[in-house]
Amino acid sequence: MTALLEAVALSRSFGATKALDTVSLGLHSGELLGLVGPDGAGKSTLLRAMMGLIAIDAGEARVLGVPWEKAPADSRERLGYMPQHYGLYTDLSVDENLRFFASLFDIPKDIFQQRRTRLLALMQLERAADRPAGALSGGMYKKLAIACALLHRPQALVLDEPTNGVDPVSRRELWGLLYEFVHDGMGVLVSTPYMDEAARCSRVALLHQGHLLAHGEPAALVAGFAHDVIEVEGTDRRALEPFLEAQDGVVALTPAGERLRVVVRREVRQQVEGQLRAMGARVVEGRADFEDLYLSLVASRGAA
Amino acid sequence: MIDLVSLAAIVRKEFIQALRDRRMLAMLLGIPVLQIIIFGFAANLEFNRADTVFVDEDRSEESRDFLRGLTAEKTFLAHGVVTVAEMERELRNGTSQVGVVVPRGFGRRVEGVEAATVQAFVDGSDPTRAVAATAALEQYASRRTLEALRGLGGVAGVARVTFEPRLLYNPSLKSRLFMVPGTAASILVILTTIVTAMGLAREREVGTMEQLLVTPIRPLTLMVGKTIPYAVFGLVDVTLILVVGNLVFDVPMRGGVAVVYLGALVYLVSTLGVGLLIATVVETQQQALMVGFFFLLPAILLSGFMTPIEAMPRWIVPLTYLNPVRYFVAILRAVLLRGAGLRDVAEPMGSLAALSLGVLLLSAARFRRTLG
Repeated sequence: MTALLEAVALSRSFGATKALDTVSLGLHSGELLGLVGPDGAGKSTLLRAMMGLIAIDAGEARVLGVPWEKAPADSRERLGYMPQHYGLYTDLSVDENLRFFASLFDIPKDIFQQRRTRLLALMQLERAADRPAGALSGGMYKKLAIACALLHRPQALVLDEPTNGVDPVSRRELWGLLYEFVHDGMGVLVSTPYMDEAARCSRVALLHQGHLLAHGEPAALVAGFAHDVIEVEGTDRRALEPFLEAQDGVVALTPAGERLRVVVRREVRQQVEGQLRAMGARVVEGRADFEDLYLSLVASRGAA
Repeated sequence: MIDLVSLAAIVRKEFIQALRDRRMLAMLLGIPVLQIIIFGFAANLEFNRADTVFVDEDRSEESRDFLRGLTAEKTFLAHGVVTVAEMERELRNGTSQVGVVVPRGFGRRVEGVEAATVQAFVDGSDPTRAVAATAALEQYASRRTLEALRGLGGVAGVARVTFEPRLLYNPSLKSRLFMVPGTAASILVILTTIVTAMGLAREREVGTMEQLLVTPIRPLTLMVGKTIPYAVFGLVDVTLILVVGNLVFDVPMRGGVAVVYLGALVYLVSTLGVGLLIATVVETQQQALMVGFFFLLPAILLSGFMTPIEAMPRWIVPLTYLNPVRYFVAILRAVLLRGAGLRDVAEPMGSLAALSLGVLLLSAARFRRTLG
């Protein structure tokens, strides 16, 4: 199956900074692909490059199997995109924004009316139809932006940090919407800085300083995690931290409430645990999550 | 090349945004009217008065009579009879602009029908006024001479040749009639260039350009759509300026209105085109403003609006051929003041059209479909 959007060994630099270093990633129909990484990892640059919005230094960005330079004129009509920052007109109302983007996609009036009614209902924006887009809350604005990106019924939807700056309730609603789209056969590519959102995707790609650290199904990635996770508590954390940091076998260390989460190499786990108990600490078995995975991958990249 | 549905959408969006933004609306419609009134009154190059001090070293009946006659001219506003030192101080600090020194022996020479010299000091730091004051002084002196000749009964024997000038188009030589068309052209270029450049830079800066670029809109459609509303506002401004110019400053409309609007339309294409061109080289609104002023200042100064192009050094003149303001000032003056028709202004109109086309093509070629 041809990928809807595809990056092939794609590189792009800004001055001396390599924003993307030979990244390959494809988005297919019926999948929810998550692009996960902290701020500055190169997520927006990758999405923009895949959308044909920026020039690339090396590699290729393809739309439906064709490089952007040779893409047919109607390629844009198959894609919906929501930029990270405000891309709608804040001084235009919800309705005016919808109508404006509908005209740019040449959607006939009657079809527009049907879709407008459905999208406003879906996004629960009916009562805000006359409000200026700039006066909407963060969550409502993102919903409007998604509505604008969906007006022309794209095959692929690309959303740059749709849940950033959105309250938890709206965030859950947004994910619910995305599942519906994917269920209907759309390919959705979402970027997020939140590791906990990775598990919600059907496939994730972890990005760090322009490098693709890993990609695959979230469950498989976590299951394939090579290290153990333990949680340490019960004694002075200030004493434990320097000790753990000095251990070769400790891959990552994160405070979690009263406890310290420790990612540790399997072969040295027993030894580290023994020393911790000797220091008066209690050790509890932890469950590896995406953050552990990400941090370990970053650490091993740094070591390599 | 241009998709009409998208074009209409962009134009409608621009109008909604401009009409909703009160500050923008004030800038587009209020400020031009205000400026034409203020500049119209201020741009008055007529020399009407010079504060004048006198030094009378002769203290004779003749010298007093000579000075009395000079002040009767109205041009020279008497600031009193002073010493040489006082006169120098007055000229230096700008209280007076003219100092007249009648030397000792003036009365005796006049009495004896000899040639007499009166010294005049004129403040040359304002050349326009200095030239006019000097001319008025010379005129006064020659009139005195003629009167003296007439008194001697010798006037009949002198073969006098005089010009009888008839001033066309602006018989009272009001500089306002000359200045208002220039001001109109300047206001239009400032407004349309800056608004267009900043409007596009804003889309880039705020991020709406990113959303526009993922739609199937073609660059040319976007460019034309962003400029049409401001061309309309520009034509409304032309109307406002012509009406205000006529009501407040008696600027006539001797030629055809259609020629003025045709000229204005072609002119606006070039100024909006320059705005678009600026937008293709900047990233932010602030940069657009800066680059805009780098263009506007020379464009206005080298337009012949204040100083005639013919008086500029020869190496500068070719630069003015690339200046749209130059042509529109010429067209406006010709049509408004001299009643010129389309045929009379064919040359500036043709040049302006060629320039507009060139600017438009250049900005279209430079307009990118990517963010960077």
